[in-house]
Amino acid sequence: MLTKATVVSMAAAAIAMLPGAVLAESPTVKEIQERGTMLCSGHNGSYFGFVEVNDKNEWKGLDIDICRALTTAILGDPEKAQIVPLSWAQRFPALQSGDVDIIIKATGWTMGRDTELGLQFSLPYFFGGTQFMAHGELGITDATGLEGGTICVEAGTTIERISANYMSTIGVEHTIVSYESAAELRAAYLANRCDAFAGWGPNLAVLRATEIDNPDAHIILSDKLSSEPIAAAMRQGDEDFVDVVNWMLAALLIAEEEGVTKANVAEMAATPPNPRVARLLGVEPGMGERLGLRETWAREMIAAMGNFGEIYDRNLGKDSAYNLDRGLNNLWSHGGVLYAPILD
Amino acid sequence: MATAMELRTRAKRRKLIIQGALIVLSVIVVLGAIQSARVNLAALGITSGFGFLERGTGWDYSFSLIPKSINDPYSKTLFIGFLNMMFVGFISIILSTIFGFLFGTARDASNIALKTAASVYVQIFRNIPLILQLIFLYSVLIHFPGPRQAMSIADAVFLSNRGVMIPGLNVPPSVALGLLIASLLLVAVLILLKTPLMRGLLYWLGGTVFGCIAAALIFAPAGESIFSIPALAGLRFRGGITVPIELAAMIVSIVLYGSAYIAEVVRGGLNQVPRGLTEAGQALGLTPRYIWSRIKLPMALRSIIPPLVNQWIFIMKATTIGVAIGFSDLFMLVSTSITQSGQTLELIAILMLAFLLVNFAIAQFGNWLNARMKLKAH
Amino acid sequence: MTDMITTLTARPSRMQAFVKSMKRNAFGTPLDAAITIIVFSVLAYWAWLLVDWAVLRAVWRAEDVGDCTEEAGACWSVIAGRHRLILFGLYPFEQHWRSTLACLAIILTVIFSCFPQAWSGKRLTLLWGVGFAAYYLLMEGSLLGLQQVTTDQWGGLALTLFLFASVVLLGMPMGLGLALMRRSDMPVVRGFATLIIDFIRSLPLLTTLFTAAVVVPILLPSWLEGDKIWRVIIAFALFFACYQAEVFRGGFQAIPSGQFEAGKALGLSYWSILGRIVLPQVFRHALPSTINMVVVTFKETAIVIIIGFFDILASAKAAFGTGEWAPHYLEVYVFVGAIYWVFIFSLGQYGEYLKGRMSIAAR
Repeated sequence: MLTKATVVSMAAAAIAMLPGAVLAESPTVKEIQERGTMLCSGHNGSYFGFVEVNDKNEWKGLDIDICRALTTAILGDPEKAQIVPLSWAQRFPALQSGDVDIIIKATGWTMGRDTELGLQFSLPYFFGGTQFMAHGELGITDATGLEGGTICVEAGTTIERISANYMSTIGVEHTIVSYESAAELRAAYLANRCDAFAGWGPNLAVLRATEIDNPDAHIILSDKLSSEPIAAAMRQGDEDFVDVVNWMLAALLIAEEEGVTKANVAEMAATPPNPRVARLLGVEPGMGERLGLRETWAREMIAAMGNFGEIYDRNLGKDSAYNLDRGLNNLWSHGGVLYAPILD
Repeated sequence: MATAMELRTRAKRRKLIIQGALIVLSVIVVLGAIQSARVNLAALGITSGFGFLERGTGWDYSFSLIPKSINDPYSKTLFIGFLNMMFVGFISIILSTIFGFLFGTARDASNIALKTAASVYVQIFRNIPLILQLIFLYSVLIHFPGPRQAMSIADAVFLSNRGVMIPGLNVPPSVALGLLIASLLLVAVLILLKTPLMRGLLYWLGGTVFGCIAAALIFAPAGESIFSIPALAGLRFRGGITVPIELAAMIVSIVLYGSAYIAEVVRGGLNQVPRGLTEAGQALGLTPRYIWSRIKLPMALRSIIPPLVNQWIFIMKATTIGVAIGFSDLFMLVSTSITQSGQTLELIAILMLAFLLVNFAIAQFGNWLNARMKLKAH
Repeated sequence: MTDMITTLTARPSRMQAFVKSMKRNAFGTPLDAAITIIVFSVLAYWAWLLVDWAVLRAVWRAEDVGDCTEEAGACWSVIAGRHRLILFGLYPFEQHWRSTLACLAIILTVIFSCFPQAWSGKRLTLLWGVGFAAYYLLMEGSLLGLQQVTTDQWGGLALTLFLFASVVLLGMPMGLGLALMRRSDMPVVRGFATLIIDFIRSLPLLTTLFTAAVVVPILLPSWLEGDKIWRVIIAFALFFACYQAEVFRGGFQAIPSGQFEAGKALGLSYWSILGRIVLPQVFRHALPSTINMVVVTFKETAIVIIIGFFDILASAKAAFGTGEWAPHYLEVYVFVGAIYWVFIFSLGQYGEYLKGRMSIAAR
């Protein structure tokens, strides 16, 4: 599909490629460039707001857009992202086996994953905590009301551990049913197979928002089980790839801070308002060479996908069906906890 | 003739070379696999070995026959998965065999209505993938009313989307498990003693009922009834035995599918009994039931048992699909353990070993059964 | 066979025979009569419920989804609205004509292979080769100058058929190879084949496929890994081959060993005895069981949903996964079940028919 953004970014890519090919230092990036496609993690079904399939059978969502942004940064074209459907349980084996290059799929940064599973993580790009959502008809407000109840949870996730740990801490007797796919879990919860659904706050909010006909049908319990930093997961041993991913995320945030958007990026690049923007958009050199990418990769990326705020609004925020508040996931200057490292 | 000799030696040499090459090739493949596993795992920073088995899991799952907690080590969790698999497999095998024989006999019956009904059953359940039947059944079951609107029979048996609640003995779970094992042992003893079928059934039924009552009288908490009847308490039912809906869905769908296959096996066996034999029975004035139990079935059993054992193995293997509906069978617990611990190779090896063991046991049992049948016929 | 004899010996007129057999088999004794009446009325009642739900009270058009109330019967609107997702999964919407043609290519291949005229090694190989190539070229597209669509976008019935066809196509020669190895007079070769066959046959298909998808990459150097879908197909084909090898073995056992010796005495080489004399007979003997294996394979492809493929079952789930269609899961499953049933039942009946015909021929 040739959208305007694609044409623009492809033209930009073609121009950028002209003055000699840039040599990537990261083996993963090199492999992606040789292959010509980026392999990203999808989901077996829809994980609303983050990784979902729309009516035209296309992938969309916050995580998908970040993957597309990374693809644009590396290959110059968001359409070169290839989304591999994976269940939660399969994501790490798939990463280890090279079926995907990176996991950008609401994945929490944990010590076990960082050490035992042989992964390494990017900077967190999203914050959300584990919470419970229960059927409104139960008339409960916190997890103690779940005594004797059934809780559904996704198998092989951190949520599975966190909720088990939390419930045993507060000493509430309950039964767990765990499912391998989000769709199965959602169907089971909505069919009232379980009294509560242990999930990741933003996902629960999205699910509740899709049931807009009846806002009281579900209640998110007051317990905050955890706050998880969500980050991209990569295979151990390729530090340069982590750099690329971190600066891709940083560029999205800096762009938002500086007000560089999909619409005005070309204009900003022509007349940069300050040196930071000039460097970000590759007007002044430094952004590309140090990462082994094209100088203008951030410009192309923003032209194709927009800045972090735009990505959020499109998939979760005010321009989406879910209309979630930015909350913690806003820039530090707007009361959130997201901030970019220094671009020097 | 020298040339013939020469040809033979040449052929012999060629065969030696081929076999040698095959051995060398296999060794290279295995060593290569080990080497790249070592390289790949080292690159990922994963330590291999079975040490993780003693680490606590920290996560919970749906079903277990014995008490479980989130602090169980991986070894216990996997053992529970194995028990669950054996439990579902065992019940499914017994029920499938019973229903399979019923429907198989009905397909061979002279009554056209029985024949039609059995054919419809077999053709429906045999020709749709098992996993589709399971997911379908599960979707239907979870749309049943919730526990507070549960359908009930005489306020003792309840059916809701959480499961089937039935009255049980008022004894601790460990005693119940002991009773179950004792009952199974009784079956084994009766078979070993070669007790005739009807009398054996009677003994078994009597022994089991007696055992249950005795256990309930001894172990039931003082002042409480020996039966525990399910009753709604808060979000769930207390008392009685709860069969979770996942377990029920597993057993029902495997039994529907397995019994349809076994019915075909039974029909095939009955068909192979020479018509002359049944006609001889008729000529002697034997009743149809007598002809069936004394002539047709014993004759058919010998050709039924080998494919029947294959079906049992198939049913055991089919228990892996529990993962599709969140039933914590061995496969699901292995799969979750892989994600939670990263010990892929070790866990897959355990999974494979478990299946090799179970299949081997069933195959041995089948051989024994076969031998016993043959002896009887002499 | 007994039915055959009765129909052959007593054939006054069909009607008469029917009445007579009904009298004997349905109303022979009072008990029989009672059973017949009760069973048939229950069956008829269920059939009526089914027709009432699926046809009489059903809602058919996608626009009429509003009419799908509790009182209404089947809500086929969900099929009308979402059948393209169920059949073709994530395949690009404007390119669905390609998946339609590709599916037809596979279905026609299967149908054509049922005609006795196609039953020679060469013709079957040609037929399946062409059918598969047609499928692949249409779906992938880049060689025909169409928009390229990679395998990760294939889905639904199209993916199920693809898995099925490639497993049969790859597994058949592998099965023959294993069967020959198992018959070899070289102990190492024989032992090797026996080990593989027994090992794979002891494991559930799901375990084999899961291993191929998740574990094998760890055991392979990265340049050998390939796509997940191809790893799974090869593992599935190996599974098929191990069962098919046993089918072939049965076929070999039916052939008197004298034929081999006669061939040797005539000075024919091993391969020409095999290719010209033995194999054609083996294939004929093994045909009914082979069809059975093919049917089982088609049925077993449904398991790939668990290892994350977007097959027809997964796309069916996706079809009622969104809000408005969520209540109509039953209709979607019935639709998919019916597709499987038609394929499997008709192939299975054909296998039965062949078996009957061949047992007559053998007499």
